[in-house]
Amino acid sequence: FLAGFGSLMQDVLWCFSQVKGTIDAGVTESDIISTVEFNHTGELLATGDKGGRVVIFQREQESKNQPHRRGEYNVYSTFQSHEPEFDYLKSLEIEEKINKIRWLPQQNAAYFLLSTNDKTVKLWKVSERDKRPEGYNLKDEDGRLRDPSMITVLRVPVLRPMDLMVEATPRRVFANAHTYHINSISVNSDYETYMSADDLRINLWNFEITNQSFNIVDIKPANMEELTEVITAAEFHPHHCNTFVYSSSKGTIRLCDMRTAALCDRHAKFFEEPEDPSNRSFFSEIISSISDVKFSHSGRYIMTRDYLTVKVWDLNMENRPIETYQVHDYLRSKLCSLYENDCIFDKFECVWNGSDSVIMTGSYNNFFRMFDRNTKRDVTLEASRENSKPRAILKPRKVCVGGKRRKDEISVDSLDFSKKILHTAWHPSENIIAVAATNNLYIFQDKVN
Amino acid sequence: MLGRGLKRKLSDYEESMAGLSCAFDSSRGLPYPLKRQLVLNMCLTKLQTYKMLVEPNLHRSVLIANTVRQIQEEMRQESNQQPVNICPGIAPASHSYAGMESPGISLQLPSGVGQQESHCCDLRSVEDPIENSLLIVSDDDMSSAISSILKDLDFVEDISPPTCLVPTGDDQPKFPENTGLKLEDDRQDLKGAECVFGSFEISNSTSYLKDLAIDDIFEDIDTSMYDSDFCCPPLMPPRSPSLATEEPLKTFPSCNSSSANNIQICRTDLSELDHIMEILVGS
Repeated sequence: FLAGFGSLMQDVLWCFSQVKGTIDAGVTESDIISTVEFNHTGELLATGDKGGRVVIFQREQESKNQPHRRGEYNVYSTFQSHEPEFDYLKSLEIEEKINKIRWLPQQNAAYFLLSTNDKTVKLWKVSERDKRPEGYNLKDEDGRLRDPSMITVLRVPVLRPMDLMVEATPRRVFANAHTYHINSISVNSDYETYMSADDLRINLWNFEITNQSFNIVDIKPANMEELTEVITAAEFHPHHCNTFVYSSSKGTIRLCDMRTAALCDRHAKFFEEPEDPSNRSFFSEIISSISDVKFSHSGRYIMTRDYLTVKVWDLNMENRPIETYQVHDYLRSKLCSLYENDCIFDKFECVWNGSDSVIMTGSYNNFFRMFDRNTKRDVTLEASRENSKPRAILKPRKVCVGGKRRKDEISVDSLDFSKKILHTAWHPSENIIAVAATNNLYIFQDKVN
Repeated sequence: MLGRGLKRKLSDYEESMAGLSCAFDSSRGLPYPLKRQLVLNMCLTKLQTYKMLVEPNLHRSVLIANTVRQIQEEMRQESNQQPVNICPGIAPASHSYAGMESPGISLQLPSGVGQQESHCCDLRSVEDPIENSLLIVSDDDMSSAISSILKDLDFVEDISPPTCLVPTGDDQPKFPENTGLKLEDDRQDLKGAECVFGSFEISNSTSYLKDLAIDDIFEDIDTSMYDSDFCCPPLMPPRSPSLATEEPLKTFPSCNSSSANNIQICRTDLSELDHIMEILVGS
């Protein structure tokens, strides 16, 4: 039952479903969620945190007895993906924070995902074990070896059911390929290769080969003093395995075709919007830096997020986006303060819904925003414990810009800039969203009528 | 001040900075050059802070450096259009930044008190105390500052240029013939050249080694045993200075045997030690 698939904003009422994480006032830094991702079927939901851990939730089977509980997500597996490391050569600590998780499509009973910190990408296999062999000849049930001379009868070991055990094992470690910090990974549609991007370079890997990678983009200038632009995000086209895009700190997107050259330094397409002179300020360049780029599921569009807006681009039109949505334009008059406290450098992500009709991104004060591309309506919702009663409908929030503040509104100066929603995820086919608010993961679903 | 829940260290500097940035945001009355100066100060402060970090954030550094360049360019264009108005009594001196010797830009923090010394070509009149209380930095200062910061980033980040091929762990590096790799080789040459110019700090450290007397390096190795005629146990080759202090005593069992055999062995060992020392010292 795909409720709400492709439905219009006015028909969708978002309800609280679950929240994961502690309620304690003191948040340990390592519990801060740094990435959220559904797998291709939506059955699994993975989170990575600053402490290098990955937690995978699995959706329980829908029960006919409780149709209003549309499959809750429960912990399926938890493992330590990355540990803090020390680079002795450069005297640098390498953070264990998980920057990104990307799932591979499922090809057998096991699940595979890529997780990365600043320097190293790892391929993890998550598999179930629910049977174990019993009745070995040479050892007893406790594993102790039997005295061979005491064995008089031979038997065939039998598989017997056991309590379900989910194991995560690292199958590949892709290390030592990035001098700078990895900001993106993307699995190719051929399912044989993937790319990892850092500030200045993008590398192409084959899943089977860990000791070599091909450098496909390198924007490092011969002289570092000439450096004016860095790579901020990169992604493969969902269907064309030779095509990928990467975004830059100057607000541009380059689309590259790997068939044209081994080193894709010359782009096939260059997306840039001319600057609006009326909005020019000292911070124009900083706020134009793109923090996330995502292909639509159809592959026809790309969406980019910069500090104040989300933009949708048609791949066939390079000179400007086809749609621009204001996320929190009221911050435009606060840029100096936001620059002073470094909030202006916050990297918000953005996501498409399954039908590419609605886009979502986060903001401050634990607010997140959704924009319906068809109706042009938008809504601001909040992830907070106060709205966390089961199936409670989320009330739209509003920020008051100036003048008289209405009862339910919040003024710009009251916004809590330490509560930022940087990471969100949308189920591939249903109206289920996961929103990471610091150390808590909120899951919202649309109301089932 | 923005929002609740923000943990901020209260220091005079930060308070005044916050006050100024709020003034920037809220007041329409601030004259443009003053706003620009404020932003410039904030940029330079941030860059200086990043310089002190072991691993500055490349993305942020680039964005801030670009903002500084943009302001710099604007100021340059303005000064080209207007006659230079030099503050009386202060000669415009262009410092080359000692991104070299000093930790970076020596900022006078705006405390709002009195006039600070300014070295620059400044368009504003001297009489305005508010404007003069902010740091005024010359063009060359800014350029050198940005250059030194970006150069340092290179030193910190990219000591070895990347190759297409990245050997990991115990794997032998393989080098397939590949046009992609060839391009990479060309780039490596460029990068090799770049490393030569690299950062001032690299050349600093190598001269340190040359300047040091050889004896000083091995100062803390206990060589008293080699001085005596007494027998010595089998000798370990001299270790590097960093390890020497920790282990030497443990590896040398007491030598209190005085048999002739031992003395023979000791003498052989001593000459071996001399030989090893010669190799290490390279004399």
